[in-house]
Amino acid sequence: MLEKIKDKFLENYFSLILSFLTIFSILKFHDFMDHYEIIILIGSAILFSWMGKMWHNFRNLFLSAFLFSFISIYLYQGSLEQGELNFFLKYFLASQSAIMWMTALYPLSLIIYWIYLFSKQDFYGNLATKITWVATMIGFVGLLVRWHESYLISIDIGHIPVSNLYEVFVLFCLITSLLYLYYEEKLKIKKMGAFVLIIITAAVGFILWYTFEKGGNQIQPLVPALQSYWMKIHVPANFIGYGAFSMAAMISVAYLFKEKNILVDYLPKLDILEEMTYKSISIGFIFFTIATILGAVWAAEAWGGYWSWDPKETWALIVWLNYAAWLHLRLIKGLRGSILAWWSLVGLAVTTFAFLGVNLFLSGLHSYGEL
Amino acid sequence: MRFAITMFSLLGIASIIGTVLKQNEPYNNYIIKFGQFWFDIFEKLGLYNVYQAFWFLLILIFLITSTSLCIFRNTPKILKDYKNFQEHIREKSLLSFKHSYQFTFKNFSVKKIILFLNSNNYRVKHKVIDKGDLITAKKGDFQKLGYIFTHLAIVIISIGGLLDSNLVFKVQELIGVKQIQLEDQSLSKIPQSGRMSENNLSYRASVLLSEGDTKTAAILRAKEGYLVQEIPFSITLKDFNIEHYSTGQPKSFKSNLLVTDKKTGKSINKIISVNKPLTYKGVTIYQAAFEDGGSQLDLKVWNLNSLTPSFKMNSEIFKNNELIFEHQKLIFEFSDFRKFNILEVIQNEKQKPKPTNVGPNFLYKVRNESGQAKEYQTYQLPIIIEGKYFFMSGMRNSPQEEFKYLKIPADYNLSIEGFMILKYLLNNPEKIKNAINGGIKKSAFKTNEQKKAFELGTRSIINAFIKGGYNLVVKEMDLNISQKLSSSDKEKAVKTYINIIYLVGQELIKEYQENNKDKIIFPINDSSSFIQNALTAYSDSFFYGVPLYLELKDFKHVQASGLQLTKSSGKFWIYLGSILLVFGIFCMIYIQEIRLWIFRKEGSNKLVVSLATNRDRIDFDQNAIRLKNQIKKIVNYNKVINVRKNKR
Repeated sequence: MLEKIKDKFLENYFSLILSFLTIFSILKFHDFMDHYEIIILIGSAILFSWMGKMWHNFRNLFLSAFLFSFISIYLYQGSLEQGELNFFLKYFLASQSAIMWMTALYPLSLIIYWIYLFSKQDFYGNLATKITWVATMIGFVGLLVRWHESYLISIDIGHIPVSNLYEVFVLFCLITSLLYLYYEEKLKIKKMGAFVLIIITAAVGFILWYTFEKGGNQIQPLVPALQSYWMKIHVPANFIGYGAFSMAAMISVAYLFKEKNILVDYLPKLDILEEMTYKSISIGFIFFTIATILGAVWAAEAWGGYWSWDPKETWALIVWLNYAAWLHLRLIKGLRGSILAWWSLVGLAVTTFAFLGVNLFLSGLHSYGEL
Repeated sequence: MRFAITMFSLLGIASIIGTVLKQNEPYNNYIIKFGQFWFDIFEKLGLYNVYQAFWFLLILIFLITSTSLCIFRNTPKILKDYKNFQEHIREKSLLSFKHSYQFTFKNFSVKKIILFLNSNNYRVKHKVIDKGDLITAKKGDFQKLGYIFTHLAIVIISIGGLLDSNLVFKVQELIGVKQIQLEDQSLSKIPQSGRMSENNLSYRASVLLSEGDTKTAAILRAKEGYLVQEIPFSITLKDFNIEHYSTGQPKSFKSNLLVTDKKTGKSINKIISVNKPLTYKGVTIYQAAFEDGGSQLDLKVWNLNSLTPSFKMNSEIFKNNELIFEHQKLIFEFSDFRKFNILEVIQNEKQKPKPTNVGPNFLYKVRNESGQAKEYQTYQLPIIIEGKYFFMSGMRNSPQEEFKYLKIPADYNLSIEGFMILKYLLNNPEKIKNAINGGIKKSAFKTNEQKKAFELGTRSIINAFIKGGYNLVVKEMDLNISQKLSSSDKEKAVKTYINIIYLVGQELIKEYQENNKDKIIFPINDSSSFIQNALTAYSDSFFYGVPLYLELKDFKHVQASGLQLTKSSGKFWIYLGSILLVFGIFCMIYIQEIRLWIFRKEGSNKLVVSLATNRDRIDFDQNAIRLKNQIKKIVNYNKVINVRKNKR
């Protein structure tokens, strides 16, 4: 009953709440934004309210992430020291704590997804989904609060937390799980969590290693090349691409399992797996294309040329060619089956290299997150 | 098609080579890396500038042609398909579709159905066949048009890329009109064959300006040489500014420019920075780099391990100073000065390394008469390392090596003077004698022989240390003491020797401080680590190459700004192609082509509804069923007739 009232309320007022938040932000923070950033803000508000219309659970995520972030910001009282002093900040709502909760919850939901896979009891499936939602929500809180914290360090250091390897890995986890949660709901394939959460847990492993071994969780000021509104579009768009490609690869693993008669009784039908791989590759491809083009436009503004054959750019091209070929074979040639599944696994390797390997082994203009 | 895929693969492979092999490095680096034999082969293949290589451009051209051919061949088919409603289909084949339904109806109205389909974005055609009605409809034509868009986009983008490549120059070079310049000389002396005209369609050239300088042309790097790019204006750098964050990292690079039109003489003044370029007369000016523009350095030259007095030296970055040292002519080549340096500094043992601005440093080479050079990097201010301050100066024998640092401890006043005093005292026999005697007085030796023996021993150790540091002490010990000593005994002996040297150092300093009470350089109770570190630094100075330490007393910072000048005639096409590409991909992936037939035989009250799509997808099934149900409602259906489907 209460749930229904809430849904009804949000149905009507979600967009209104977003508009209110947007106007509030513009009035309060317009000194910190240029025209482009205000346009991006309004654009995001429109995008999010559209997403809320399309997908009701997104509204809950959005509002709770904002609510907790606001609580956290309130508790900070404009002073970074509160992060150590205040109990709730220290253990829950400071960005580092929130992200640590995220890193604990994703592996937990992976385990429960596997229990669900074998037990076939809906209780576990629903639990795993809920935990994934909570992990994603708390991860977003972590990033949003980190954004605030960066301004608390110093006004001129403040920036959106998508600027280094640590931050984008968190973003990767969040985007991949959001993409998965969407398809889980739309295509009713709860069991795939057992596979998709593997790649997210791997990313979580990286985050933990990077935090504790390398101290990569430090907030660093932006180098001049990154000080641009373009970062706010280019990086998230790219990570929707990366996330979708990773998800496609994980589902291909399930496809190959099913085809080789492994876990065959527990997995969805082949054509559903195939369809989902296709869907995630196509959404990834669109976003990756857009992100690469936006990157080129940005490069034209920052580096003096839309294309410099920088290793990251070049590898982005290779990733693009790879998936272009994949889609070509499927759409034009009508190819189906295990070749494409294997191919999307190779695609994951190529994507990982473009994402991480380039920073590790090759130098260039994109070396913002070294290990 | 297959050809195009091959070309794309080649493009991919070539690109990978370009990322693995660092591009556009000085050719010498490649020779060192690969050796002369492979260097020559790789050079012929153009692997050092893959993306400008002739064969790479050739791939691009092939790609354009083959993709164009592909479009040329397929477009008529797609357009024909676009017009074709497939009205000649037979009832029998209609019934064989996966989504094919038959039912009887009460009131059939062509008008109503057409209206309904139109409102669902279908294009509809109505035709009377044998007095029966055939309604054909379709939507999602853009799915197939998406094919044309994406492929056209690839062609447009590639053409844009070619426009911005140096294809024109390549041809000019091939027929001998233009020639890459290899020697450094003043701009005015460069012949016409080494100059690209103002009308060059595309270029990415660079200009390096010191503060106050004006330049009227830019430099185009090409392979191992360069070309001069004429520009329609002159650029003056009024000043260059680096802002820093409180943590010391760079926050912004800003060049204050005066750009003057060569024809009209009109000029504009603008500050550019990274991400905020200036476009003037079709050329965009970017902040790309910065370096020193000839800073002036006031130096004091200290000898690290002899009594030679220190002296002043004035120098400038990019200039050389000559000096006679131990009958040898040394050339000091100053190459860089940096005002801010961020290093990971460990402030004290408890803290993690923290990026900190450690102040100015400068870079120079010392070349001897035989032409060999060692490179030095010296910081002006002492740097804190685990609670203690050190003057740091690195030395290396070649650019491939890392710098090895000489760490000279700063004295109580954070000056290098304390170390230099200790050096002076060590090299003064009188002081050494006093120090040894002072040590003997405090010692437990009773007989004169013991004292004499100790004095002699100590003196020889100290002499060795003064002449060659700990290294020489150990060497002489190995010579003098028989080999019978076990390694653990040897270690003990070395420890004793080091301790003796330390004690002498302590005596020297104590005496000095007692005689100079007005100025504290070595606090009495807190100088043990200073003495140890100073002795280590003294000992290390024998591995410092030429034992001359340049202390930076003062400087006048002159900066230079590196600008990039870009003219891009392909940019418009690239962006146009990009928009088309996204649109095309969107069409291909997210638009679904659906065809629909509704057929009523003359006089019959039976209706056949069939739907088909060219790509079978799960959501199509749901859509088809929904649509069928809606049509059923419109015609007020009576009874569903099962369609016997032939298995397809």
